[in-house]
Amino acid sequence: MTQFATIRDSIMRGAGKTIGRDAGNRPARAAGRAATQGAASRITLPRGSLERLLTAATIAALFCAWFLLTRLELVNPLFLPPPAAVWQAFITTSTEGYQGSLLYQHVLASVERVLAGWLLACVVGIPLGFLMGTSTRIKAVFDPIIEFYRPLPPLGLYTLIVLWLGIGEESKITLLFLAALPPITISATEAVKSIDRRYITAVQSLGADRRQLLRHVIVPACLPGICTGMRISLGFTYSVLVAAEIVAATRGIGWMVWDAAKFLLSDVVIMGLIVLGLTGLALDLVLRRLERALTPWRFI
Amino acid sequence: MMRHIQATCRAAWSSIAARLMPVLLAFVLLPAGPAAAASPASIRVGYVDLVNAQIIAMALHLTEKAVGVPVTWIKFGSGGDLNRAVAAGQIDFGGVGNPPAAIGITRGLPYEGIFVLDELGPVESLVARPDIASLKALKGKTIATPFGSTSHYELIAALAGAGLNPADAKILDMDPPDIFAAWIRKDIDAAYVWQPVLGKMQASGGKILMDSGTMAKRGYPTWDVGVVMKDFAAKYPATVVAYLKAECQAIDYWHHEPKKAAALISKSLNLDLTETEREMQGTYMIPCHEQLTANYLGTPGHGGKFAIALVATAKFLQSQKRLPEVKDDAVYEGFIDPSFLQKAVTP
Repeated sequence: MTQFATIRDSIMRGAGKTIGRDAGNRPARAAGRAATQGAASRITLPRGSLERLLTAATIAALFCAWFLLTRLELVNPLFLPPPAAVWQAFITTSTEGYQGSLLYQHVLASVERVLAGWLLACVVGIPLGFLMGTSTRIKAVFDPIIEFYRPLPPLGLYTLIVLWLGIGEESKITLLFLAALPPITISATEAVKSIDRRYITAVQSLGADRRQLLRHVIVPACLPGICTGMRISLGFTYSVLVAAEIVAATRGIGWMVWDAAKFLLSDVVIMGLIVLGLTGLALDLVLRRLERALTPWRFI
Repeated sequence: MMRHIQATCRAAWSSIAARLMPVLLAFVLLPAGPAAAASPASIRVGYVDLVNAQIIAMALHLTEKAVGVPVTWIKFGSGGDLNRAVAAGQIDFGGVGNPPAAIGITRGLPYEGIFVLDELGPVESLVARPDIASLKALKGKTIATPFGSTSHYELIAALAGAGLNPADAKILDMDPPDIFAAWIRKDIDAAYVWQPVLGKMQASGGKILMDSGTMAKRGYPTWDVGVVMKDFAAKYPATVVAYLKAECQAIDYWHHEPKKAAALISKSLNLDLTETEREMQGTYMIPCHEQLTANYLGTPGHGGKFAIALVATAKFLQSQKRLPEVKDDAVYEGFIDPSFLQKAVTP
């Protein structure tokens, strides 16, 4: 029993050949650490703080530009309303609502749709990717389907989905599901394909059965690739949100942006886009935490 | 490798800069612009594919002949979309219904209304499943309409007339083709929409509960108004007058040659001939001299009913939380400028 665990640990430590996409990163990081230790006297800033400063400065600069452009009335407020108007739109939508729903209800409706489509894609895509990674025949069956529809513009696809499934939640979640599926399936396939054969032969020679092989070698070796795929996939799903809410929605942050644009309410549009962006960031942050919890050995 | 890419990028940038430099210099060195020319190099007209006389002006090239420069016709799905193009400064002339016009004026779009494109009668109607007997019975039902359009406006007003709030029914925003698909799938119970989707819904069992002609009599008229960008009108007033002459010619053609007009429109819009004739009957074209009366645009200094209707539309949209504010009446009155049309009708 313990031998398998040892091999699993060696996978997690990244001993021998490293696994997955992170492969190139690891030696570099180790080298970086060594260099920091070796030349402690030359260090000026803690690692990453300059980058953080640059990020903060960029955000501040964009905000200042926005403030000045509108304050000096250099642009038509119809195109770019002042920050105060956008803030006011945020307050009004949060307290009085936009077309019958409060802001948090719009956000919740959208997040529910995104998560439903994405989770469905995870449930279908990860096993499918596993199968496609282990069998070239299964891959030959599903690959053309996924590769064909993957580059189709979501709106084009959506008109057909609405015809087939109607205007309810089914069609919206289906569109999000279809957007989420390819990245997750492809990364699961690649993760399985790139497992070091030596680990498998090693545990097999020690007498591991299929279950043990799966638990101690395949799953831990694939997790990093799959986690990355899940994150990328959520990003894709999120970017299709507005398209999914254009037809016959009455609630949702994407719909709110679309509807407000029809009535030239640019303050609501910009507020909605900021909320949309922040919600997307928050979702990604949660996933990053999850990634850390599931594959802690990548973050040592 | 990296250095190679950087070098390539740098080369690309310097070549772009080299090409852009003369252009940038030209902007800096030239005076603020040439003096106002008599006519523009070409004009861009935005239109929504409704059955009206403008299609005749387009098909017979009346506009090109009148203005004497090339004309680009740009099609839009609805007045709301056209408003967005106006905001982006992508068209010179256009046409919008009174709700999009009220929205555009309130939000400060730089255009003005110069003529009546058409007045909407039964061409836009509220159609419902046969088991829905009255407007009141729409309570709790699913109704579709293109938001921000004349139909949307009439729907809310019709429901209000029957004592219903928009929240009493499930009102969905859909474009006409989507409405028809949803109707066939029985996803919706009713729709306020225009032809040809309206006719298709009737053909598959829909019953008319209300039409825009009746709504007009109840004090909710809907019409499309021809607009021109303010800057364009100030710079090329003669072109605006010439453009209107072509529109008036087309309206006369509609009245004097109804058969030929129907054939032309049916061919241009790819519509069935009987369908076209039915739509023509549901749309009213107002002869230009009549547009200059108190019932429509009025004359310079003596505003007509259009300005009043625009104020009413804006107030209605505000009461439905579709507009954050309503401007002073003078802003809506100022939108209508009958002076160009007056010049176009006087020989």
